Amino acid sequence: MQDDRRPIATTARLAASRHVLTVNGRSVAVEAAPGTRLLYVLRNDLALNGPKYGCGLGQCGSCTVLVDGRALRSCAIPLRAAIGRRITTLEGLAQGDRLHPVQDAFIAENAAQCGYCLNGMIMTTVALLSANPDPSEAEIRSALQGNLCRCGTHVEILRAVRAAAARMRSRGDAA
Amino acid sequence: MRPDPAARRRHWQETGDVLLVYRETIGRPPRLGDAPGAALAAGPQRALYLVVDGEGRVTAFNGHVDLGTGIRTALAQIVAEELDVPLADVTMDLGSTATAPDQGGTIASETIQIAAVPLRQAAATARRHLVEAASRRLNRGIAELVVASGTVRVAAEPDLGIPYGDLVRGARTELTLDPDAPVKPVADYGIVGRPVPRVDIPAKATGAWTYVHDVRVPGMVHGRVVRPPVPGVDSALGGRLAAIDDASVAHIPGLVAVVVIGDFVGVVAEREENAAEAARCLSVTWRPWAGLPDLNRPEAALRDNPATARRLLDRGDVERALAHAQERLDRTYVWPYQMHGSIGPSCAVAEFRDGTLVVWSGTQNPHVLQSDLALLLDMPEERIAIERHEAAGCYGRNCADDVAADAALLARAVGRPVRVQLTREQEHAWEPKGAAQVMDVRGGLDAEGGPAAYDFETRYPSNGAPTLALILTGKVASQPAVYPMGDRTAVPPYAFGHARVTVHDMPPIARASWLRGVSALPNTFAHESYIDELASAAGVDPIAYRLRYLPDARAADLVRAVAERAAWVPHTRPGTHGGSGDILYGRGFAYAVYVHGPFPGKAAAWAAWVADVAVNRVTGEVAVTRVVVGQDSGLMINPDGVRHQIHGNVIQSTSRVLKESVGFDATGVTSREWGSYPILAFPQVPDIDVLMVPRPNDPPLGAGESASVPSAAAITNALFDATGIRFRDLPLTAEAVRAALNPPRIAGPDAPTRRRRGFLAGLFGAGAGALALSLTLLPWRPAYPSIERPDPAAYSAATIAQGRLVAAAGACLVCHAGPDGRSFAGGRGLETPFGTVYASNITPDAAAGIGAWSYPAFARAMREGVSRDGHHLYPAHPYPSFSGIGERDLQALYAYLMAQRPVANPVPETRLRPPFGIRPLMAGWNALFHRPVSFADPARGPDWNRGAYLVEALGHCGACHSPRNALGAERRGEARLAGGFADGWEAPALTGLSRAPLPWTEDDLYAYLRTGRSPRHGSAAGPMAAVVASLAPLPDADIRAMAVYLASLVGEAPSPHPRRAAAVAAPRGSATLFQGACASCHEGGAGGELVPLGLVTAVHSAYPANLIQAVLNGVAAAAERFPNPDPSAPPAAMPAFRDTLTDRQVAEVVAYTRARYAPDAPEWPGLEAAVARVRGSTPHAGW
Repeated sequence: MQDDRRPIATTARLAASRHVLTVNGRSVAVEAAPGTRLLYVLRNDLALNGPKYGCGLGQCGSCTVLVDGRALRSCAIPLRAAIGRRITTLEGLAQGDRLHPVQDAFIAENAAQCGYCLNGMIMTTVALLSANPDPSEAEIRSALQGNLCRCGTHVEILRAVRAAAARMRSRGDAA
Repeated sequence: MRPDPAARRRHWQETGDVLLVYRETIGRPPRLGDAPGAALAAGPQRALYLVVDGEGRVTAFNGHVDLGTGIRTALAQIVAEELDVPLADVTMDLGSTATAPDQGGTIASETIQIAAVPLRQAAATARRHLVEAASRRLNRGIAELVVASGTVRVAAEPDLGIPYGDLVRGARTELTLDPDAPVKPVADYGIVGRPVPRVDIPAKATGAWTYVHDVRVPGMVHGRVVRPPVPGVDSALGGRLAAIDDASVAHIPGLVAVVVIGDFVGVVAEREENAAEAARCLSVTWRPWAGLPDLNRPEAALRDNPATARRLLDRGDVERALAHAQERLDRTYVWPYQMHGSIGPSCAVAEFRDGTLVVWSGTQNPHVLQSDLALLLDMPEERIAIERHEAAGCYGRNCADDVAADAALLARAVGRPVRVQLTREQEHAWEPKGAAQVMDVRGGLDAEGGPAAYDFETRYPSNGAPTLALILTGKVASQPAVYPMGDRTAVPPYAFGHARVTVHDMPPIARASWLRGVSALPNTFAHESYIDELASAAGVDPIAYRLRYLPDARAADLVRAVAERAAWVPHTRPGTHGGSGDILYGRGFAYAVYVHGPFPGKAAAWAAWVADVAVNRVTGEVAVTRVVVGQDSGLMINPDGVRHQIHGNVIQSTSRVLKESVGFDATGVTSREWGSYPILAFPQVPDIDVLMVPRPNDPPLGAGESASVPSAAAITNALFDATGIRFRDLPLTAEAVRAALNPPRIAGPDAPTRRRRGFLAGLFGAGAGALALSLTLLPWRPAYPSIERPDPAAYSAATIAQGRLVAAAGACLVCHAGPDGRSFAGGRGLETPFGTVYASNITPDAAAGIGAWSYPAFARAMREGVSRDGHHLYPAHPYPSFSGIGERDLQALYAYLMAQRPVANPVPETRLRPPFGIRPLMAGWNALFHRPVSFADPARGPDWNRGAYLVEALGHCGACHSPRNALGAERRGEARLAGGFADGWEAPALTGLSRAPLPWTEDDLYAYLRTGRSPRHGSAAGPMAAVVASLAPLPDADIRAMAVYLASLVGEAPSPHPRRAAAVAAPRGSATLFQGACASCHEGGAGGELVPLGLVTAVHSAYPANLIQAVLNGVAAAAERFPNPDPSAPPAAMPAFRDTLTDRQVAEVVAYTRARYAPDAPEWPGLEAAVARVRGSTPHAGW
């Protein structure tokens, strides 16, 4: 199963160097190889537990973060590509003590069982509603299609997305 | 992070100002696979269940853990209710061995039904004590007192009361749980039975919750394991390891250790990504094994598996009844292997501290894991603490225990805390599968249309899946044990007069263990399909037919309630729901009471389904559009929690029935990611209408699995209703349903497509005979004398700077890069059809490089392909192109190279296959093919001419982009730049023969060469990415000139694409694999602004090489590949699927991508072989 045919010249790419990132509105420096996946940097260097490792293949969505406002898979983004971009994790959604309306809605609707996929569901919903404040049912389902949930919490999650959309529209804060 | 477990245990043992309730029992709970008497032999036990502290706060302990089902909340409700304290004042401590009682594994929906019983009694014991204490203090009779919100009050004098905290403070009081302590009447419940928000979700929705994956211990390092290549077959473990090469990971920064114990192999590094890289790079030789029978169609393998028959029921005279049956119906139902599919691969942290071991784990079975680790590490159980943290939902036994043992082994080996994260591939491959199952029913109708007899046999190859590290290290045998667990709900719920039930107990084939609904879900699939078949044969409505034989009144109530809720219309034949266009509609019913635990077992909640399906009769796609599901769970602690569990069961089991089946080959599991093991996603989620029967006065029943159990039969019965066809094998994939609906017609005389030659063979078919022609020509050229390395100071800075640009335009580093990726030290092997050519060292090292070369020697090598010593170079060095390089540029290049740092890196000698290995033959080759390049055209403008020079001479684009003849020479004329191959990548045509769906414009070419990406065509990858990176120092004007020249080529020839008719008879490749593995980024935008696949040239090409390269080896992010990336290029890299997908899977995903995104292009033949070839070649350096 193991394959020893590896690209040469990996030594240079594994060497750590200092990089400055913008995460949750703050400038932070990390010491890591430039190819290190953003997910590892967020979790291990910055102790941000919101994004979760699920597959490392960009398939499941557990590791979703916002990059310049778009919901992307941090398991597929090298540190070097994250430099100069605005990274937001689940921890960065709240404004002070006030949770993001999408977080409020997910809590109010009990939209988690084990909750492992919850990060991806919330982050994807935040990006969806900022781009499309009044999504149809089909648009919501399509936006969340690439976020896998194994517990079968889809019904509660859909309800939370609809509730968040309604709440944000009524408040006019497409945060 | 909580204080360490020993300190927590001591705290409860020593602290004052508390009231504690202990439970005293004899023996520990029995475990599956226990020797007789083992449980009792554990002797008297005393375990803490409940604490009330001096502030009136309550901590309660339970041996069962929350697997994501919300029992933390439900158990807290039970405690809060019985003690009359606010829910917020109760904290549950679940499953940590230092503090929580051993109540066995969290299995079989037992938590509320069984494990919560002593908890309630403990709370009642504490309450009685507190009320008695208050009675003494207040000097009032107990009957005069009431409790509300943790304060005991005098009912008649509401101002008079004492809070629990005041009653507790001042003493340490230990009580023994009294099972007879009076409990609250249900009628008085105010917290239990009411919907309560889950206590854990606020923290989970903000990233504040500590899953086991989030545990960090000071000094922690990161581990990964490397498993033997028998994915998911534990019986094949043992003695597989042949050799291991530590040097293969010597380059990993921060590598702490490579740990090998028997077949157990792990790596530890300071940083997680480096541990992951070490696990990927570690060169391990395993003894191969490929002995798995076909488990993709598991029926034969299960029938062949050695088994012991166990009779569970024998009523009436089955054989006689069968002999007299009016109509025989003998049926076989087959259930596939399925996965738990936890969204988070298992993870654990282990630390040895002062001779004790602490393991932070997401286990279902903390106390069982504790015993496993004691055996694994030869330690007493008392010195091992399992700290239980929540993990991703597991729905049965996943790899949580395996990874805990892995972490313990690695932590012991390196003497530091180690966190081990399994990969997605490992979790998919090694999680103990939900076993395949084969159910046979012999039966039929009697003269009245009733069931004549029911002779049921079931085969279930599964056990407890011993923790892998125990097998890998040889602590337990890999010989699989037999667990008698095929008997769950094996006895049908119907009052068949003549009935026999036999379970064939058998060992696992692939690693298997319990998965939600254990064997009951497959057994019920058979029972509930068969009763439907009987009803249909008897011409009776399926629900009416069931009710005739259903003796259980509570079950019958539920069946009627669900039928009514769904507005069930009785019917006696399929097709009554009609259809529209290609879509057919149908409804199906099924019912079950989930009987779990060792036979005869206990009944959990009753459940019944009415499923509505829509099936496309052309494509075979099945949608479950609506499910009406009813459940009778007795008293519901948290009705919201129960409803939530019902939703979850309906969705998960619908997914299992429609989509899920583990793929295998002879070595083991091939489903190692979500494309090859797809699960239901949002667009396919049915509408769910839940009916919960209110039964507050009946005992609470397990609700975690019941609603899954009727799923399969309800859906297949609905499919029968829609189509008139019975489906007795799962899953109901579009392929399976299409095949059943459209049986193959008699084969016509359609000739099989002629296999085209492999793409490499086609391009380079060896024609050595031609070589004989040239042998008469001068085979050897004179040597130039060696010189002292010229002093770089002899060259002006301007000349060296000019040389740098020449080297950039010539992309010398793409081939001549040294092992560090930067210097010109050479050594890269370039794979050609004639053998591997090693790029030479062109640093000014006198021995290894070109330091001893004079300029004339250098110039001859560049222009004529002759080395300093007179031997001929192979035309992998593109001297035919370089012959057009201007004198000043060549001198500048020489100066630049001589100014480089010399690197003494000897390069392997190139040895080509005979006869190509005979270098003098190159003289003949040159005579045939070496023509100086001429490209200047005075009629064109200066940009065009500059571009032509850069493209044709310096850039030697033709070296890759022109096809080569049988002897490896670039073809000229119309074939020039008409597309070639390099390093296993296709270099597409740059002329009018380009297959790009949109024509390349000058601006497109400029953007592509400057940034590496054209939003209308895709981005550079493989060797071309290195070329773009190399071009970075060139001024924009040069890039523009190249674009001008190349754009003129595009216009040269009309596009003669042979396009085939668009209609595709049968879909090619695997849509589901694409959907699961690729779609979230390539269709859903989760990777950023990707170039649409329909525009990507590689998808439209005549050859699949580049698409295969991208899938197997991934593509680095634009920011990694290009010095001047397009700012709109996505930040994500494409992951490499080399270690995840098999050749066949890659071929299927490539075939599908082609069919979908280049629908009018012909199918690529021989894809699987092409994938194997690319897999076998070395990935392009550095990309």
